[in-house]
Amino acid sequence: MKKIIISSVAMALLVFSGCADKEPVVDEKVQEVVVAQEVETVKTEVVSAEDSSIDENAMSSSDSNEMNMANLERDLSTVYFDFDKFNIRADMQDKVTSSAAVAKDAASAFTIKLEGNCDEWGSDEYNFALGLKRASSVKKALISEGVSDSRITMVSYGESNPVCTDKTQECWSKNRRVDFKLLP
Amino acid sequence: MRILLIFLFVFGISYAGDATIEVIKKVESLPSIAVEDSSISYDNTFKDSFFKTIIADLNVLSLFNVDRHHRKTHFNDTSVMVENKDMDYVLRYKMFQDDVGALNIELKLINKEKIVLTKQYKINRKNVFMFVAHTIAYDINEFMQAPSVEWMKRRVIFSRVVAPQKTEIVISDYTLAYQHTVIKGGFNIFPKWANKNQDAFYYTSLDSKKPTLKHVNIKTGKSKSIISSDGMMVCSDVSRDSNRLLLTMAPDGQPDVYLYDVASAQSKKLTNYGGIDVNGQFLDDETIVFVSGRLGYPNIFSKKIGSRSVEQMVYYGKSNSASSTFGDYIVYKSRESSNAFSANTFNLHLISTKTDFIRRLTATGVNEFPKFSIDGDAILFIKNYKSQSSIGIIRLNHNKNYLFPLKYGRLQAMDW
Repeated sequence: MKKIIISSVAMALLVFSGCADKEPVVDEKVQEVVVAQEVETVKTEVVSAEDSSIDENAMSSSDSNEMNMANLERDLSTVYFDFDKFNIRADMQDKVTSSAAVAKDAASAFTIKLEGNCDEWGSDEYNFALGLKRASSVKKALISEGVSDSRITMVSYGESNPVCTDKTQECWSKNRRVDFKLLP
Repeated sequence: MRILLIFLFVFGISYAGDATIEVIKKVESLPSIAVEDSSISYDNTFKDSFFKTIIADLNVLSLFNVDRHHRKTHFNDTSVMVENKDMDYVLRYKMFQDDVGALNIELKLINKEKIVLTKQYKINRKNVFMFVAHTIAYDINEFMQAPSVEWMKRRVIFSRVVAPQKTEIVISDYTLAYQHTVIKGGFNIFPKWANKNQDAFYYTSLDSKKPTLKHVNIKTGKSKSIISSDGMMVCSDVSRDSNRLLLTMAPDGQPDVYLYDVASAQSKKLTNYGGIDVNGQFLDDETIVFVSGRLGYPNIFSKKIGSRSVEQMVYYGKSNSASSTFGDYIVYKSRESSNAFSANTFNLHLISTKTDFIRRLTATGVNEFPKFSIDGDAILFIKNYKSQSSIGIIRLNHNKNYLFPLKYGRLQAMDW
């Protein structure tokens, strides 16, 4: 018995030492000569004199406008919806009211774009229409809060504009939403 | 290209009659076929790609039990390879490059030691080799006197979502092996071929202030805006003569089906329900089929153009939100499980307007965007299963489905 144990230990040692002895061998045959390929010439373009000059006034005003819009968009809170539904939930009503206040006051100079979105369950037209009906519900709520009809545009992005791509219920509920965007 | 073959049922259907009825016949009775490669030009990678494509096409024909061994032999050998002795058919081909760099293919089909069919093909660019493979399969199908598979040679146009609000519109063959991106950058969805010849297409651009339908002529590369609508704009169907379109528009946030006349650029509202009416399809020149939420859930309805009455077409399924029509047949997408988030959620079903039969066409995953081939012989659809997007093809008369996975992105919509 002892002999067997000793010989097997010796065997194991042999095997392992055999492994350790192996040095990485470089197969020199594999080293092929790589012929440098000529790449295409770099594409260039010339900016004409009148295009290259920048109207500084125009730039600063549009810049501040954009920053203003971005700040205001943060005050317009996203409205979430239930699965297969486009009515505004009771817990979302306050968000719509506060957004309407922003829209009437601070953001009164801008057009409001309502973007309807859906979860990933289907990319067909019905899903797009559902996104649109969600946007339409928010539009009606805004109008009833006193926002002018003519200032609101709508679009549906269906399932093509997810904020969350995990395969969980929580994630899907984040995607069933209407976002507010401001347009000059 | 990796091909998944899904044999939904062990049995195939034996003759076309009512496609909603399954007639059972054993699959073992199909003749066997092996493919022998005698190519002299090109590297092994290209030879493998071509071989795989041919094998896939022969499988999709659903006429043979196809042997998948890539065996190589000489084109002029008089007898078939010893491994293929017991095969009913042997297809032997030779690819070679000619002096001007064109890909030439010679082939012969051998049946019981006799050459029963010989053909020659030539294309200038070898990167479109899959279309030659499809043509070879088409010719073999013709030789076997099976119903035409004209659709095999047609092109598919699809949109793929690569990032939120970023899509590509791509033209491909029906197996997605060939892909040519025609519109890149931007948010463009719902592509639709504008005519039978597939030399122009429509799509919806969401980049402008209002969703806008655009028309692109592939030959000239010219793009023009057709019509815009607040909220939503989709070209759902193009009439057979390509003169009329069925659009979904929502000028006041109210999605409805509209008929658009291409020559006069005039549109007419066809549906009036206050909820959702979308996805109009021509059933014939006077009748349309569309998806409506008028019962409290999406379902398939029909109506005569100009008439007020609406007829419910489908009585099975809890949520039927997309359809395609051919002759008396309607294929539709249906949510069957009451749990909205179970793994087995959306399946395709086939009904006939003349009978009460319903046939389920898919079994797993989210199956949507059914689209009949131009001759009604097959249905193309999008399958999303375990975060993999594929294009699927259903051979109705053979009761078999084949899947071709998309390498990246998520399929949004397609037409062929």
